[in-house]
Amino acid sequence: MAQIRLNVNGDDRIFDAPAHIPLLWALRDFLGLTGTKYGCGIGICGACTVHVDGRAARSCQVAADQVTGRVTTIEGLSADGDHPVQQAWLAENVAQCGYCQPGQIMTAAALLAGTPRPNEAEVEAAMSGVLCRCGTYQRIRRAIGLAAGSS
Amino acid sequence: MTTGMTRREFISVSSMVGGGLLVTVYLAGCSASETVMTTMMAGTRTTTTLPPPTTIGPPETTPTTQAETTTTTYPGDPNATIRPSIYVLIDGTGGVTVTAFRAEMGQGIRTAIAMIIAEELDAEWNRVRVEQAPADPAFGDQVTGGSLSVSDHYQLLRRVGAAARQVLVAAAAGAWEVDPAECRTEPGVVVHPGGDLRLTYGELVTAGIDAEAPRVDRVEPWKDPAQFRIIGTPTPLCDAPEHGRGATVYTNDITLPGMRYAVIARCPTFGGRFLEYDRAAALAVQGVTDVVEVGPGVAVVADHTWAALQGRDALAVEWDLGVLADTTDEGIRQELADRTRATGSGLIGATYSIPYFAHAALEPVCAVADVQPGGCEVWTATQDPQGARDVARRAAGLPGESVVVHTPLVGGKFGRGHYHEAVEEAVRLSQITGAPIKVFWTREDDLRHDRYHPMSLYQATAPASGSARPTIQVNSAGSPIPTGAWRSVQNFPTAFARESLIDEVAAANGIDPVDLRLQLMDADARRVIERAAAESGWGSSLPGGRARGIAYHATFGVTHVAEVVEVSLEDGRIRVHRVVCAVDCGTVVNPDTVRAQMEGGIVFGLTAALKDGISIEHGAVVQSNFDDYRLLPFDEMPEVEVHFVGTSKPPTGVGEMGVPPVAPAVANAVFALTGMRLRSLPLRV
Repeated sequence: MAQIRLNVNGDDRIFDAPAHIPLLWALRDFLGLTGTKYGCGIGICGACTVHVDGRAARSCQVAADQVTGRVTTIEGLSADGDHPVQQAWLAENVAQCGYCQPGQIMTAAALLAGTPRPNEAEVEAAMSGVLCRCGTYQRIRRAIGLAAGSS
Repeated sequence: MTTGMTRREFISVSSMVGGGLLVTVYLAGCSASETVMTTMMAGTRTTTTLPPPTTIGPPETTPTTQAETTTTTYPGDPNATIRPSIYVLIDGTGGVTVTAFRAEMGQGIRTAIAMIIAEELDAEWNRVRVEQAPADPAFGDQVTGGSLSVSDHYQLLRRVGAAARQVLVAAAAGAWEVDPAECRTEPGVVVHPGGDLRLTYGELVTAGIDAEAPRVDRVEPWKDPAQFRIIGTPTPLCDAPEHGRGATVYTNDITLPGMRYAVIARCPTFGGRFLEYDRAAALAVQGVTDVVEVGPGVAVVADHTWAALQGRDALAVEWDLGVLADTTDEGIRQELADRTRATGSGLIGATYSIPYFAHAALEPVCAVADVQPGGCEVWTATQDPQGARDVARRAAGLPGESVVVHTPLVGGKFGRGHYHEAVEEAVRLSQITGAPIKVFWTREDDLRHDRYHPMSLYQATAPASGSARPTIQVNSAGSPIPTGAWRSVQNFPTAFARESLIDEVAAANGIDPVDLRLQLMDADARRVIERAAAESGWGSSLPGGRARGIAYHATFGVTHVAEVVEVSLEDGRIRVHRVVCAVDCGTVVNPDTVRAQMEGGIVFGLTAALKDGISIEHGAVVQSNFDDYRLLPFDEMPEVEVHFVGTSKPPTGVGEMGVPPVAPAVANAVFALTGMRLRSLPLRV
């Protein structure tokens, strides 16, 4: 076991967990932040996407004890679920089952934070690694356009 | 009314206390279900307050009711509620809580149930909340499948709303000493026949309604569909706000005090079981608490998921691969091919090949169980809560009434939720370890131990002259590996075979594929085919390198869907640019949901058409994760348009209906583009 120190959603968290535990499982099982989802465990579905210092990161592929930056999860993206991306998601009725949507929203929010007016290729490059079995991609595209226009 | 009593006979105003009002309503029939009311108290429940619809017709002209009612005070119980039936509760603030009794997987059933009840209850939509029912036979069949949840319950839910409204109207009429038949309602308010007195639903409940509600089956819907203000209005899913905040609690997000986490080493082959494993190595992983044999597998139980996963790796299980160790999908396909019949003279025939497909919901299989002496609670993403309860009951050796199955929201499932292996595993492990247990399936577990859409050969034949639709012969019996319901079930391969062969017949006879379908099909089919063709610009020129294809299918024979696709080839791969969908699903309860289900069904069908099947080698599934069982990604999403071909018949279902036409439409478009006829899925040029 190792003592792991993380700054998550603005709070300093110190807890004992196995060395090298993936950030995903540290967040979910040790810190109770279950908004970040397991989907594949090998970094290709994007359901576990969080921000580390504002950049999208696959939390299943990052060891918690190696993270030095500030971690933001879907629970910390905004105080009241009113981040422009979250608002755009509601306006476009994006979610179906909802399971992949935290990863979709975190990926889109990181994209827009770095590229406020992304072109189509930039949107596709950012979003094509986040899988949705329900098939909400068309609405995700519209929602990103809406959020980009509003921010 | 069929009770033999007039409404007036049910009603008396029993007392007036301190200037207040106590209304007593006596209505014939059954009261609220104790079963439901008690089970609803236990365990997790998902409760959602509905956001306002995106549009709700003309602005409500109803003034707030406060002005009309301030002359009377209502000192009744502010915490009072009434439950006119097991499906609906109304509280003293006028809030309405609807109980959803079918599984929400993103298809919008929770929202649809609320919309239909609220319409006939004449509720204020933004005061409606949705609760999720546990497994409970009081709700009858709770299996979510066949796209039936709206179509099977449309009239029932209208009656539920109408019956609840009847209680409130009767209460108000009793207070006013008028005939309830002369009262009317506006959203959330009963209005006196004279129009000058109003009582809100909340005021009526607060005042106290000592009532037995009318039997739901004896109340007729009262609203003319032309007056619907909720049904037919695009309405956001009630769960959307929680989804957007990451606040939705799926099965894998549930934590119980003292709960442990289990993963199971599963034999890669179907029918194999463990021989040897290194128990000590697994127990040596910090956090691992138990190693338990569960059926043919070995479970590692730990304090957290990561320890369980590491412990499983350490087991180094040696497997008896069992009797299917030599099974391959090619061998299965050959067995099926050997049954193929010759095509008779005067006929055109072809055989279409479908591989195994996995469900691959983003939420993997998962269950939580807490077995206590004499009782058991289970949480699982299920499409069949009562089936899950039966599995838990048998696994625990407990009577059914002592097993409570809670139904968290389902992260997709597409048919996988009919099967409950994880429930059995969690119950057994909880029983053995004495702790609440969460059984977690990894993506690899989920893909390699699915109940697959069956590999099949569909043989289609049709008169060579093009004078009749193709008939289908299915060769799919006796799969050695587990198969199960997969979104749209046999409709998917049937549509692929029939709608491909129609195009083959059209080509052989030099007839336009749309024209041939219009010649062969009935009026219901023609309406959607004509609409999809018109909206897609069928027959008009396309940019170079693109071509169109069409297909039509009536899934389960009830919902008519035609889809026109535009394809091109990019680096030898099929690229779908646009899908124009026309759907006739009868009455459209939630237009936004119908669109979403068509969009999602098209993506589901395109994934099957263009990505990967499940293949079998050495008795085991070859694919293991999303790198080799690929889902259609964002950058391959075509532009999808959905057009309603409106009919006023009752709703017919939409959850699966978008899926079947798209694969044959793509194959037909590839033929139009290249002259190549692709008869095997996934489609490869």
